Amino acid sequence: MVHSFLREVLRNLIRRPATIEYPKKETPVEPDFRGRHYPDLTKCIGCSLCALECPSNVITMKPIPKELADAAPPANRRRIYPSIRYFGCIFCYRCVTVCPVRAYVVSNEYRLASDKPLFSDELSLSTLRRRKGVGAQ
Amino acid sequence: MARTKIVEVPMALEIPVGPQHPALHEPLLIKLYVEGEVVTKVEVNTGYNHRGIEKLCERNNFYRNIFLCGRVCGICNTVHANCYVRAVEAILDVDPPPRAKYLRVLAMELERVHSHMLINAVMAEVLGYDTLFMTIMRDREAVMKAKEIVTGARVLADYMMVGGVRRDIDEVKKDRLLKLLDKIEERVRYYRKVFEDDPTIFKRLVDVGRLSPADIVSHSLVGPVARGSDVGTDVRFEDPHEAYPEIPVMKLIKRDEGDSWARMMVRWDEALVSIEASRYVLQHLPQGNAVPDERKLPRRFPPGEAFTRAEAPRGELTYYVLSDGKPTPYRVKIRTPSFNNIINGAFAFVGACIADVPAILVSFDPCISCMERVVVVDPETGSKRKLSLRELATRGVSR
Repeated sequence: MVHSFLREVLRNLIRRPATIEYPKKETPVEPDFRGRHYPDLTKCIGCSLCALECPSNVITMKPIPKELADAAPPANRRRIYPSIRYFGCIFCYRCVTVCPVRAYVVSNEYRLASDKPLFSDELSLSTLRRRKGVGAQ
Repeated sequence: MARTKIVEVPMALEIPVGPQHPALHEPLLIKLYVEGEVVTKVEVNTGYNHRGIEKLCERNNFYRNIFLCGRVCGICNTVHANCYVRAVEAILDVDPPPRAKYLRVLAMELERVHSHMLINAVMAEVLGYDTLFMTIMRDREAVMKAKEIVTGARVLADYMMVGGVRRDIDEVKKDRLLKLLDKIEERVRYYRKVFEDDPTIFKRLVDVGRLSPADIVSHSLVGPVARGSDVGTDVRFEDPHEAYPEIPVMKLIKRDEGDSWARMMVRWDEALVSIEASRYVLQHLPQGNAVPDERKLPRRFPPGEAFTRAEAPRGELTYYVLSDGKPTPYRVKIRTPSFNNIINGAFAFVGACIADVPAILVSFDPCISCMERVVVVDPETGSKRKLSLRELATRGVSR
């Protein structure tokens, strides 16, 4: 049996490394891996259900900036939007599944390392900017 | 003056193993009192990883607790979530559809395979067999991939939901999973043979930490530790839940040697049974909807209580959930298998050599974060007492 394990060890010498050279090569993840998600503010109605249901309490409701407030849907009367603090997020996707209007955009983006705190604000507000840009044209 | 008498003075040396120690992967203090090489007394001190999850469960609502309970232990997260979800389902009187029951079994059995592979790899590492550790961990990646395909994440699955599971699998995923299972089975069979025949493992594990069936029963040890000593206890058979009674390939594994080696072999055999069960589940998946609409789940919880059991990879896991009709549970009590196995199993170290201590400890599959509980010790009198919930609540977090 020692010989059999030696064979395994020798086979490893001619095998390619099992580790992924991460920055050079991308880690293969599934298309439906639970990665970065953000609310699409053209759909969000500001109901705050995601903030109430978040198990790790990382979603806070913030007011939409004045210049973009008119692009939000009329159902969002309070003109507020959820902001996710990714550093505390556990990526359980509870917010995605409880959202009554299915406003969350999901992706398999897992590269979320940063030296500054990461929030979903910019991604969310860009959805409103895009709508406003399209409206202006 | 001639010597007429030799007086032998017994000297017990105290050796702390932990809280940080190369043989431990989580903080735990095992105080060994040794005479020469032989351990004469053992004290197990816990409390380095207490997170107050049971108390936190009383502040969160029932649905948020599903994700919190999944984080009691990273490796057995689907089993924890499943046990809690079944308790909530019993309070709500909800029965999940058959497809969801099968998918829950699939997730839990995949988890058992990776947990058993992990602890066998750790055992190889503790014995100084690092090459075997590396190769087992490399092949364990296939199980993690299978879990990623089923649940959407490698480790923390967040797969259980009241009334079903949180994502379904299609035919493409099923084919990929079956191929992965074939690959995993071949490797598990190979490693089982290595553990069965390798002289290094044999010398370090056989007849080390031998437990008799009477010891197991009197100390309430559970899981593979009990099954390695010929005590056939397995919640999947004692308390049939989910789709377990419908899977004919499930069988109870037990061995009668009772030593560390037997416990590791029980784990390999169980991993093979789990692979077989996963394959059966994939081939006989009932039709229907398994994913409930989480927006339409009940928001009001009737008063009631539920006690559920599940077979975690480490043994019997129990949850007690008490609802008083409010949005948050009144009490969630968790009893994890490591709590029994590590604290009650300390007697197994007595009589062993120092070098055998890590091997015995790892053969118990310790999960420290699972087993932390609050006991207040008065340093002046040395007395211990447990705090009531009310006292704990009024003391606040800072003390």
